[in-house]
Amino acid sequence: MLAARRVPRIARSFATVPDSAGYKVAAVDANQPTSSVTFLVKAGSRFETKPGVAHALKNFSFKSSAFRSALGTIRQSELYGGVLSASLGREHLALTAEFLRGDEEFFVQLLAEYIQSAKFTRHEFQEYVTPVVEAESTEASSDPAVYAIELAHALAFRNGLGSSLFATPHSSLTVEDVSAFAKNAFTRENIAVLGTGIDQGTLSELVQRFSGAAKSTGAASSTSASTYFGGETRLQSHGGPETVFIGFGTTGAPSPDLAAFSAFLSPTPSIKWSQSLSPIASAIPAGTSVQSVYLPYSDASLFGLLIQGSSGASVKEAGKAAVQALKAAAKGLSKEDAAKAAAKAKFAAASAIEGRDSLVNILGSKVLAGSDASVNTVLQPFASVTAASLSKAASSLVSSKPTFVAVGDIASLPYADELGL
Amino acid sequence: MLGPLSFSLAPYVRSSKMLSKWLTPFASWYNETAGYKKYGFKYDDLLIEEREDVQRALGRLTPREQNDRAFRIKRASHTSVLHRPLPKEEWTSTEEDVRYLAPHVEEVVKEDKERAYWDHLAVTRK
Repeated sequence: MLAARRVPRIARSFATVPDSAGYKVAAVDANQPTSSVTFLVKAGSRFETKPGVAHALKNFSFKSSAFRSALGTIRQSELYGGVLSASLGREHLALTAEFLRGDEEFFVQLLAEYIQSAKFTRHEFQEYVTPVVEAESTEASSDPAVYAIELAHALAFRNGLGSSLFATPHSSLTVEDVSAFAKNAFTRENIAVLGTGIDQGTLSELVQRFSGAAKSTGAASSTSASTYFGGETRLQSHGGPETVFIGFGTTGAPSPDLAAFSAFLSPTPSIKWSQSLSPIASAIPAGTSVQSVYLPYSDASLFGLLIQGSSGASVKEAGKAAVQALKAAAKGLSKEDAAKAAAKAKFAAASAIEGRDSLVNILGSKVLAGSDASVNTVLQPFASVTAASLSKAASSLVSSKPTFVAVGDIASLPYADELGL
Repeated sequence: MLGPLSFSLAPYVRSSKMLSKWLTPFASWYNETAGYKKYGFKYDDLLIEEREDVQRALGRLTPREQNDRAFRIKRASHTSVLHRPLPKEEWTSTEEDVRYLAPHVEEVVKEDKERAYWDHLAVTRK
């Protein structure tokens, strides 16, 4: 009876990154019933040649290629019960197919053929892509939190990482721009293929079989290294909550100390309807929210506090409390606080790699860079976080020029110096 | 329908060397006699456009092509009102008479056919 019960073999193998037909391929299999395959392309907004071209390319995903039309792609993947999606970040564009186990041959072929032979027709750009680009841009600009973080990136990094994820609602993009951008981006050096719920060997073999015509340019896309600038901007907007973003940036590879610092300040409680132990949580007025934002990129990171409330006065009060807590924390943390912050940040990182999307984003960049992509490389650095290293990282962060963005009723929203920055 | 979607023997004629050799002079004579060139038209201006597929194809022309087409139609209407063809140097030459719309119409028809195929597809499990 007992002997008959088979324990499923759990294969975890994303440490191996062989090159398959020039693509880097990595896969992790946790024996889940569905699989996903992502073609992660170095075509994020930091590489774009014209503002908004990466956003347009994202919305061009799965349109007609030399092998199948846009309609055929949709209907065929529906017949298999699969889901196709595209998501854009500042570094990468991810083209993902999620499907039932056993259908990997069709979906890997679909993705590989799109990458190699997308047509970028003018009428599809006009009929399908432009309306969606405009709608997404309008929606993003009507959400003050998204808008504030876009503006903060522009202030903090200006070019490269500073370019917006969204095209302007009335951009002058043409299909030739998108096509030229894609031609440079969709090359062997720029693409990593990441699978979940699929065997590494199977995925490599399929990628090799279907990527015969993939172009190679000999070098991966690159941009100049990011520089942090900082600054202040205020934008009138209505309809949303009053929003203030206070940010600080650093350049260089993201450090676990900053993640821990962000976790320490985050007033989001671990138990619903309770108050967190963060020094900010007890000081903010009711009806105002403070979120800590930590955005690590390959060669820079942006850390900040996003403060939202119904009136300028309450945002000002919360902002003062937040800046006070930030400065106090940057002066030095107790050993217990540092240990607590490191544990919280480590848990956040570990639970992020359980999810499919975040796994692809976290490990994908490592796979593309050719470095070791295993769970350990994500979690190991948190062991080195101490009170001293945390304080050092935080104080050097806070000593940089702040990035201050106010979106909403600018007559009542505070200025940076009024908050004590 | 007059235009690219009607029944046509042209592909058969073109595939045969002898037939096309015999028929080309006759075709060019017919083309000149049809008279649309005298009014500055291109052949694709004569396609019946009161159809959904042709309307969609017209939307796929470049702004330049759309503008030129509108100009030709306007000029031809005016010439027709005057009951006098254009001066000979303004007639459409054979080189200018390109099929600028037909490929788009064919593509739209192909798409419609494909949509019908997917809409009426019977799925069987192997």
